[in-house]
Amino acid sequence: MGGKCPHRNVKKRRYSHKTARRTKFELKGDDMVYAQLNKPDEERAPLPLDEDLPGMGQYYCLHCDRYFSNVAVRDEHFKTKRHKKRIKQMMGPAPHTQLDADVAAGMGMPDNGPKLMSM
Amino acid sequence: MRLEKCWFCSSTIYPGHGIQFVRNDAKIFRFCRSKCHKNFKMKRNPRKVKWTKAYRRVHGKDMTQDSTFEFERKRNRPERYDRNLAENVLKAIPKIDKIRVSREERHHKNRMKGKKEKLLKEAVKELEQGISLVKAPSVLQQDPSLTLPKIKVKVSQQQSEENHAMEE
Repeated sequence: MGGKCPHRNVKKRRYSHKTARRTKFELKGDDMVYAQLNKPDEERAPLPLDEDLPGMGQYYCLHCDRYFSNVAVRDEHFKTKRHKKRIKQMMGPAPHTQLDADVAAGMGMPDNGPKLMSM
Repeated sequence: MRLEKCWFCSSTIYPGHGIQFVRNDAKIFRFCRSKCHKNFKMKRNPRKVKWTKAYRRVHGKDMTQDSTFEFERKRNRPERYDRNLAENVLKAIPKIDKIRVSREERHHKNRMKGKKEKLLKEAVKELEQGISLVKAPSVLQQDPSLTLPKIKVKVSQQQSEENHAMEE
Protein backbone atom coordinates (compact mmCIF):
# COMPACT_ATOMS: atom_id res chain seq x y z
CA MET A 1 0.00 0.00 0.00
CA GLY A 2 1.59 3.26 -1.13
CA GLY A 3 4.87 1.69 -2.25
CA LYS A 4 6.60 2.37 -5.52
CA CYS A 5 5.32 0.33 -8.40
CA PRO A 6 8.28 -1.62 -9.87
CA HIS A 7 7.02 -1.39 -13.43
CA ARG A 8 6.46 2.34 -13.61
CA ASN A 9 9.41 4.44 -14.70
CA VAL A 10 9.07 8.13 -13.96
CA LYS A 11 11.68 9.11 -16.50
CA LYS A 12 9.96 7.23 -19.28
CA ARG A 13 6.61 8.67 -18.32
CA ARG A 14 8.01 12.18 -18.15
CA TYR A 15 9.68 12.05 -21.54
CA SER A 16 6.93 10.28 -23.44
CA HIS A 17 4.69 13.29 -23.81
CA LYS A 18 4.19 15.05 -27.08
CA THR A 19 6.24 18.21 -26.64
CA ALA A 20 9.38 16.47 -25.48
CA ARG A 21 9.36 13.94 -28.30
CA ARG A 22 8.69 16.61 -30.90
CA THR A 23 11.46 18.82 -29.60
CA LYS A 24 13.88 15.95 -29.70
CA PHE A 25 13.10 14.21 -32.95
CA GLU A 26 11.05 16.28 -35.34
CA LEU A 27 12.41 19.81 -35.27
CA LYS A 28 14.68 21.11 -37.97
CA GLY A 29 18.32 21.35 -37.07
CA ASP A 30 19.73 24.71 -36.09
CA ASP A 31 21.92 24.91 -39.16
CA MET A 32 18.96 24.31 -41.48
CA VAL A 33 16.98 27.09 -39.82
CA TYR A 34 20.01 29.35 -39.93
CA ALA A 35 20.53 28.70 -43.63
CA GLN A 36 16.87 29.43 -44.35
CA LEU A 37 16.98 32.69 -42.44
CA ASN A 38 20.09 33.91 -44.19
CA LYS A 39 18.76 33.20 -47.63
CA PRO A 40 18.07 36.39 -49.62
CA ASP A 41 14.45 37.38 -50.07
CA GLU A 42 14.31 36.62 -53.80
CA GLU A 43 15.09 32.96 -53.25
CA ARG A 44 12.47 32.46 -50.58
CA ALA A 45 9.63 30.54 -52.15
CA PRO A 46 6.06 31.06 -50.94
CA LEU A 47 4.81 28.35 -48.63
CA PRO A 48 3.19 25.50 -50.58
CA LEU A 49 -0.41 24.60 -49.88
CA ASP A 50 -0.66 21.43 -47.87
CA GLU A 51 -3.96 20.05 -46.65
CA ASP A 52 -2.28 17.85 -44.07
CA LEU A 53 -0.92 20.82 -42.16
CA PRO A 54 -2.91 23.18 -39.95
CA GLY A 55 -4.00 26.30 -41.77
CA MET A 56 -3.03 24.76 -45.13
CA GLY A 57 0.59 25.31 -44.13
CA GLN A 58 0.40 29.06 -44.68
CA TYR A 59 1.04 30.27 -41.13
CA TYR A 60 4.53 29.09 -40.33
CA CYS A 61 7.18 30.10 -37.81
CA LEU A 62 10.59 29.42 -39.31
CA HIS A 63 12.56 29.95 -36.12
CA CYS A 64 10.59 27.35 -34.19
CA ASP A 65 9.58 25.19 -37.18
CA ARG A 66 5.88 25.20 -36.31
CA TYR A 67 2.67 25.57 -38.30
CA PHE A 68 -0.37 27.45 -36.99
CA SER A 69 -4.01 27.43 -37.94
CA ASN A 70 -4.43 31.17 -38.48
CA VAL A 71 -2.72 34.53 -38.22
CA ALA A 72 -3.97 35.29 -34.72
CA VAL A 73 -2.54 32.13 -33.21
CA ARG A 74 0.75 32.64 -34.97
CA ASP A 75 1.03 36.23 -33.80
CA GLU A 76 0.26 35.04 -30.29
CA HIS A 77 3.13 32.57 -30.64
CA PHE A 78 5.48 35.38 -31.62
CA LYS A 79 5.04 36.84 -28.14
CA THR A 80 6.10 33.71 -26.28
CA LYS A 81 9.37 33.50 -24.42
CA ARG A 82 10.48 30.38 -26.25
CA HIS A 83 10.13 32.06 -29.62
CA LYS A 84 12.07 35.11 -28.48
CA LYS A 85 14.79 32.84 -27.19
CA ARG A 86 14.99 31.15 -30.58
CA ILE A 87 15.22 34.52 -32.35
CA LYS A 88 18.07 35.55 -30.11
CA GLN A 89 19.81 32.25 -30.70
CA MET A 90 19.49 32.52 -34.47
CA MET A 91 20.87 36.06 -34.44
CA GLY A 92 23.99 34.79 -32.72
CA PRO A 93 26.97 33.03 -34.31
CA ALA A 94 26.55 30.43 -37.01
CA PRO A 95 25.88 26.90 -35.78
CA HIS A 96 28.58 24.27 -35.59
CA THR A 97 29.36 22.39 -38.78
CA GLN A 98 31.66 19.60 -39.90
CA LEU A 99 33.93 22.23 -41.40
CA ASP A 100 34.32 23.83 -37.98
CA ALA A 101 35.17 20.42 -36.54
CA ASP A 102 37.79 19.82 -39.24
CA VAL A 103 39.39 23.21 -38.76
CA ALA A 104 39.48 22.75 -34.99
CA ALA A 105 41.19 19.38 -35.45
CA GLY A 106 44.04 21.06 -37.31
CA MET A 107 43.03 20.59 -40.93
CA GLY A 108 43.09 23.35 -43.49
CA MET A 109 40.22 24.47 -45.65
CA PRO A 110 39.14 21.87 -48.20
CA ASP A 111 40.84 21.98 -51.57
CA ASN A 112 38.23 21.92 -54.31
CA GLY A 113 40.80 22.23 -57.06
CA PRO A 114 40.75 24.63 -59.98
CA LYS A 115 37.49 25.64 -61.58
CA LEU A 116 36.83 23.48 -64.60
CA MET A 117 36.45 25.23 -67.90
CA SER A 118 32.85 25.35 -69.00
CA MET A 119 31.89 23.65 -72.25
CA MET B 1 40.31 4.03 -45.84
CA ARG B 2 39.66 7.70 -45.31
CA LEU B 3 40.16 9.14 -41.83
CA GLU B 4 37.34 11.45 -40.85
CA LYS B 5 36.91 13.85 -37.95
CA CYS B 6 34.20 13.57 -35.35
CA TRP B 7 31.49 16.19 -35.70
CA PHE B 8 31.42 16.85 -31.97
CA CYS B 9 34.89 16.48 -30.49
CA SER B 10 37.04 16.64 -33.68
CA SER B 11 38.85 13.41 -32.91
CA THR B 12 40.02 11.20 -35.75
CA ILE B 13 37.63 8.40 -36.67
CA TYR B 14 39.44 5.33 -37.91
CA PRO B 15 37.74 2.81 -40.18
CA GLY B 16 35.48 0.43 -38.30
CA HIS B 17 34.88 2.86 -35.45
CA GLY B 18 32.16 5.27 -34.49
CA ILE B 19 28.71 5.85 -35.88
CA GLN B 20 27.30 8.01 -38.66
CA PHE B 21 23.99 9.87 -38.83
CA VAL B 22 22.63 11.03 -42.18
CA ARG B 23 19.89 13.60 -41.83
CA ASN B 24 17.07 13.80 -44.32
CA ASP B 25 18.66 16.81 -45.99
CA ALA B 26 21.65 14.53 -46.72
CA LYS B 27 23.93 16.20 -44.22
CA ILE B 28 26.28 13.72 -42.56
CA PHE B 29 27.24 13.74 -38.88
CA ARG B 30 30.06 11.42 -37.84
CA PHE B 31 30.80 10.53 -34.23
CA CYS B 32 33.85 8.81 -32.83
CA ARG B 33 32.27 7.49 -29.64
CA SER B 34 28.95 6.94 -27.99
CA LYS B 35 29.88 9.87 -25.74
CA CYS B 36 29.84 12.29 -28.66
CA HIS B 37 26.74 10.75 -30.17
CA LYS B 38 24.83 11.12 -26.91
CA ASN B 39 25.92 14.72 -26.53
CA PHE B 40 24.73 15.39 -30.06
CA LYS B 41 21.35 13.84 -29.34
CA MET B 42 21.05 16.04 -26.27
CA LYS B 43 21.53 19.01 -28.64
CA ARG B 44 24.64 20.28 -26.94
CA ASN B 45 26.79 22.88 -28.62
CA PRO B 46 30.39 21.67 -29.10
CA ARG B 47 31.67 25.20 -28.66
CA LYS B 48 30.36 25.22 -25.09
CA VAL B 49 31.59 21.80 -23.97
CA LYS B 50 35.05 22.17 -22.53
CA TRP B 51 36.60 18.88 -23.63
CA THR B 52 36.07 19.47 -27.36
CA LYS B 53 38.55 20.87 -29.82
CA ALA B 54 36.01 23.44 -30.97
CA TYR B 55 35.85 24.90 -27.47
CA ARG B 56 39.61 24.96 -27.17
CA ARG B 57 39.93 26.71 -30.50
CA VAL B 58 37.36 29.37 -29.67
CA HIS B 59 38.93 30.08 -26.28
CA GLY B 60 42.48 30.26 -27.56
CA LYS B 61 43.79 27.16 -25.80
CA ASP B 62 45.03 25.52 -28.97
CA MET B 63 47.01 26.87 -31.86
CA THR B 64 44.67 28.04 -34.59
CA GLN B 65 46.70 29.79 -37.29
CA ASP B 66 49.68 27.94 -38.69
CA SER B 67 51.01 27.03 -42.10
CA THR B 68 51.42 23.38 -41.13
CA PHE B 69 47.63 23.05 -41.05
CA GLU B 70 47.50 23.62 -44.79
CA PHE B 71 49.22 20.33 -45.52
CA GLU B 72 46.37 18.28 -44.06
CA ARG B 73 43.13 19.04 -45.84
CA LYS B 74 40.33 17.38 -47.68
CA ARG B 75 41.18 17.29 -51.35
CA ASN B 76 38.08 17.06 -53.49
CA ARG B 77 39.95 16.94 -56.79
CA PRO B 78 42.14 13.91 -57.47
CA GLU B 79 45.73 14.54 -58.53
CA ARG B 80 47.49 12.65 -61.27
CA TYR B 81 49.89 10.17 -59.71
CA ASP B 82 53.54 11.15 -59.79
CA ARG B 83 55.99 8.71 -58.24
CA ASN B 84 58.68 11.26 -57.39
CA LEU B 85 56.17 13.62 -55.84
CA ALA B 86 54.63 10.81 -53.78
CA GLU B 87 58.03 9.77 -52.45
CA ASN B 88 58.91 13.34 -51.52
CA VAL B 89 55.60 13.79 -49.75
CA LEU B 90 56.02 10.60 -47.75
CA LYS B 91 59.50 11.72 -46.77
CA ALA B 92 58.27 15.15 -45.71
CA ILE B 93 55.38 13.97 -43.52
CA PRO B 94 57.41 13.20 -40.34
CA LYS B 95 59.32 16.46 -40.71
CA ILE B 96 56.10 18.47 -40.92
CA ASP B 97 54.69 16.62 -37.94
CA LYS B 98 57.78 17.41 -35.87
CA ILE B 99 57.51 21.09 -36.77
CA ARG B 100 53.86 21.18 -35.83
CA VAL B 101 54.49 19.53 -32.47
CA SER B 102 57.28 21.96 -31.60
CA ARG B 103 55.10 24.93 -32.53
CA GLU B 104 52.24 23.66 -30.41
CA GLU B 105 54.60 23.29 -27.45
CA ARG B 106 55.80 26.84 -27.98
CA HIS B 107 52.20 28.06 -28.07
CA HIS B 108 51.50 26.25 -24.81
CA LYS B 109 54.60 27.74 -23.19
CA ASN B 110 53.56 31.23 -24.22
CA ARG B 111 50.11 30.65 -22.84
CA MET B 112 51.59 29.55 -19.49
CA LYS B 113 54.03 32.43 -19.29
CA GLY B 114 52.28 34.42 -16.58
CA LYS B 115 51.29 31.41 -14.51
CA LYS B 116 54.25 31.30 -12.09
CA GLU B 117 53.90 34.98 -11.31
CA LYS B 118 50.18 34.52 -10.75
CA LEU B 119 50.73 31.59 -8.37
CA LEU B 120 53.31 33.58 -6.40
CA LYS B 121 50.93 36.49 -6.03
CA GLU B 122 48.19 34.18 -4.81
CA ALA B 123 50.54 32.59 -2.28
CA VAL B 124 51.53 35.99 -0.89
CA LYS B 125 47.91 37.00 -0.56
CA GLU B 126 47.02 33.77 1.21
CA LEU B 127 49.94 34.23 3.62
CA GLU B 128 48.84 37.73 4.50
CA GLN B 129 45.29 36.64 5.13
CA GLY B 130 46.08 33.53 7.13
CA ILE B 131 49.11 34.61 9.17
CA SER B 132 47.05 34.65 12.37
CA LEU B 133 46.61 30.89 12.18
CA VAL B 134 50.34 30.19 12.48
CA LYS B 135 51.85 29.65 15.98
CA ALA B 136 55.54 29.44 16.89
CA PRO B 137 56.90 26.18 18.38
CA SER B 138 57.97 27.93 21.60
CA VAL B 139 54.37 28.95 22.23
CA LEU B 140 53.31 25.33 21.92
CA GLN B 141 55.70 24.37 24.71
CA GLN B 142 54.65 27.11 27.11
CA ASP B 143 50.93 26.56 26.81
CA PRO B 144 50.05 22.93 27.58
CA SER B 145 46.48 23.31 26.36
CA LEU B 146 47.75 23.48 22.78
CA THR B 147 49.48 20.14 23.07
CA LEU B 148 47.97 16.77 23.78
CA PRO B 149 49.26 15.16 26.98
CA LYS B 150 51.65 12.23 26.68
CA ILE B 151 50.20 8.92 27.78
CA LYS B 152 52.37 6.02 28.87
CA VAL B 153 51.19 2.55 27.98
CA LYS B 154 52.62 -0.56 29.62
CA VAL B 155 53.64 -3.34 27.26
CA SER B 156 52.75 -6.85 28.42
CA GLN B 157 55.51 -9.45 28.70
CA GLN B 158 53.48 -12.29 27.20
CA GLN B 159 54.92 -11.69 23.73
CA SER B 160 58.26 -13.25 24.63
CA GLU B 161 56.54 -16.42 25.81
CA GLU B 162 54.56 -16.59 22.59
CA ASN B 163 57.71 -16.19 20.58
CA HIS B 164 59.31 -18.98 22.55
CA ALA B 165 56.35 -21.20 21.81
CA MET B 166 56.57 -20.36 18.13
CA GLU B 167 60.18 -21.44 17.98
CA GLU B 168 59.27 -24.90 19.17
